[in-house]
Amino acid sequence: MAYEPPVTDYDEIVENCTCAFCGCNCDDLDYLVKDGHVVGVRHACRLGASKIMEDMDQRLMVPMIRDETGELQEVDWDTALDKAAELIAGAIRPIFYGWSETSIETMKHGIRLGELVGAVLDNQATICHGPSLQAVQNAGYPIATLGEVKNRADMIVYTGSNPMNSHPRHLGRYSTFPRGWFRQRGRFDRTLITMDPKYSDTAKMSDIWIGFEQNGDYGFYNAIRAALKGKKIDQDYVSGIPKEDIMELAEAMKNVQFGALYFGLGLTHTLSKQRNIDMAIEMLTDLNEYTKWVLTPMRGHFNVNGFNIFMAFEMGFPYGVDFCRGYQRYMNGETNTIDLLTRKECDVFMVIAADPGAHYPGGAVKHLAEIPVIQVDIHWGPSTEIADVVLPGSFVGVEAAGTSYRMDGVPIYMKKAIDKPETCRDDEWIMRELLERVQKIKDQEAAVASK
Amino acid sequence: MKTITLTLKKKSQIALEFDELIPDKVFTWEKADFENYQVPVGNRRFPLTDYFDIEVEGTAENPAEVKMILDGDCGRVKYIGSKMGAGEIIVNGDADLHCGAEMEGGKITVNGHAESYAGREMKGGELEIMGNTREFCGCSYIGDWRGMSGGKIILHGSAGKQLGECLSGGEIYVGGDCDILAGIHMNKGFIQIDGDVTRWPGGQMKNGNILIKGKLGILLEGMVFDEIVKDPVIDGKSFSGKYIKYTGDLAVNGKGGLYLNAEKNREYL
Repeated sequence: MAYEPPVTDYDEIVENCTCAFCGCNCDDLDYLVKDGHVVGVRHACRLGASKIMEDMDQRLMVPMIRDETGELQEVDWDTALDKAAELIAGAIRPIFYGWSETSIETMKHGIRLGELVGAVLDNQATICHGPSLQAVQNAGYPIATLGEVKNRADMIVYTGSNPMNSHPRHLGRYSTFPRGWFRQRGRFDRTLITMDPKYSDTAKMSDIWIGFEQNGDYGFYNAIRAALKGKKIDQDYVSGIPKEDIMELAEAMKNVQFGALYFGLGLTHTLSKQRNIDMAIEMLTDLNEYTKWVLTPMRGHFNVNGFNIFMAFEMGFPYGVDFCRGYQRYMNGETNTIDLLTRKECDVFMVIAADPGAHYPGGAVKHLAEIPVIQVDIHWGPSTEIADVVLPGSFVGVEAAGTSYRMDGVPIYMKKAIDKPETCRDDEWIMRELLERVQKIKDQEAAVASK
Repeated sequence: MKTITLTLKKKSQIALEFDELIPDKVFTWEKADFENYQVPVGNRRFPLTDYFDIEVEGTAENPAEVKMILDGDCGRVKYIGSKMGAGEIIVNGDADLHCGAEMEGGKITVNGHAESYAGREMKGGELEIMGNTREFCGCSYIGDWRGMSGGKIILHGSAGKQLGECLSGGEIYVGGDCDILAGIHMNKGFIQIDGDVTRWPGGQMKNGNILIKGKLGILLEGMVFDEIVKDPVIDGKSFSGKYIKYTGDLAVNGKGGLYLNAEKNREYL
């Protein structure tokens, strides 16, 4: 990596900003601002810093509507919002997807709009930590804040997760390296274990790497639980791990003072999906008979957890909430975005601060290309290519203030540091405008029907 | 006896919801009532006659005297026979999600494949599926520990993942193969699988019995070898041949029984 000299040419420093990248929500960043742009970021990881500094890269600046020739044409805000409202009001099976890269304040208007038109509200959990939420509904949620882990934990387990690449400051700021109240020597007071079929960058720096076979998670945790109950394991290898190692591991996990298990998509999206987490949570229940263990999902976007917490609080269900019958319903495989798209049920799709064009399976994107798509976002991406109405929003945590929830469920208010481009609008304003315009159309329809 | 025949004339891309068209609610309905009925589709309701031709013959005093026949591919008709208490429904084609969910009595026959959640939280009655079904057949609502608690599911084809999840009563018969985690979290009831099973039957099971006549891929470590039984009798049914009996799942101090055909699973002996 080439040497990069420190940024010295800036007008002012905005202190204590919150990073709008991953679920760590690091709230100790300093932005170096020059001419109304962030030119440098202190304390952030490379992922967070590059996202914040390159906010003008491929930026969506003006509202656009796709014309008959298939090209996006620049229009004014009124035309774009009216077109979007008309599409939403006329939809039979609309989906509002995304929300994870915007603020809770925006979601507030989104829920009201969803309830008004009878839409499905879903967020990125449907393709990442949805199975974790299902397992939590089955087996409970032995969670602790990241601060508690920092001060107390002497064993950290990462399973199906590679934070060195995905959450670079997680080890450094919260779990492994920092010196905590009861862990004065930091890294030296902690044992780091990685359970992952891949010898990942996190595995390379761990004390112990357990490379069980792919899709073997459920059988592996079941064997640890059997060992914890005192059974002498019969099979020589369980999920590719020798039985002696499993029994030794179970013994080691029993004899720590405070253990913390972090899991990622490696656990949620292998063969047995939610049952892996179910089993892992119940394994912690067993371990809690001997000592203290907690578990936290490694959430991806900075506010993906926020949507789930907000939705569960407001509507009783964490994601994939279907209002089509007038009341909220939730059923995996029925009210989730991917299923509705691959079954070709959805007829209008609104994406708010997400990029399904880049992340969805082929069949789902294919259907998206056939139906009207409304995009509320800040950057040009694969979703813009399939969008019919584009509404440029603003960057929460940099250009707009808002509330987000960290991976452990701690709410953090993200402050505004710079002004947004003049032609863009806040996500919250866009959502409120859409709600008002759709409400107007519905009122007119009701008035006509009553005559 | 009243026979209601619905013949599909247009398949909707957005699924229709049939939770209101069960014998318990429609036994007094005449043909005109069906023609006036608006069926939920997405966030609207549309006339049932847009999608089905309707024939009504005879009269019924109570739901038990109703026979509903759905002709055509009902692969986009959800909640067929959901919460029904009596009568009979015959689907001559595929059925969509939640076929026979929460049913309490009567009989549903699907002469085709059924989607996921067939017989979810079933309390009684009989659900017979001639084809295959997908995930979560006879399961619970997400997060609940009580799944299907009574009645019988007869599945002639193969079952998907997590068959009989949280089963707390009743009986499931699978003629074909079964995917992972059959009988996960089950605490009562009986599952019989005639075909092969891929992995991990009886994960986290507390009680109840699972009998597998075919070959098993991977067994869980939580299953503790008990004995080899000849011609076992389970819940009053006798099965001929030698079976390996396991008790589990140890992880939840379970007392459930897993019977594996000894002939086909010699490597576990």
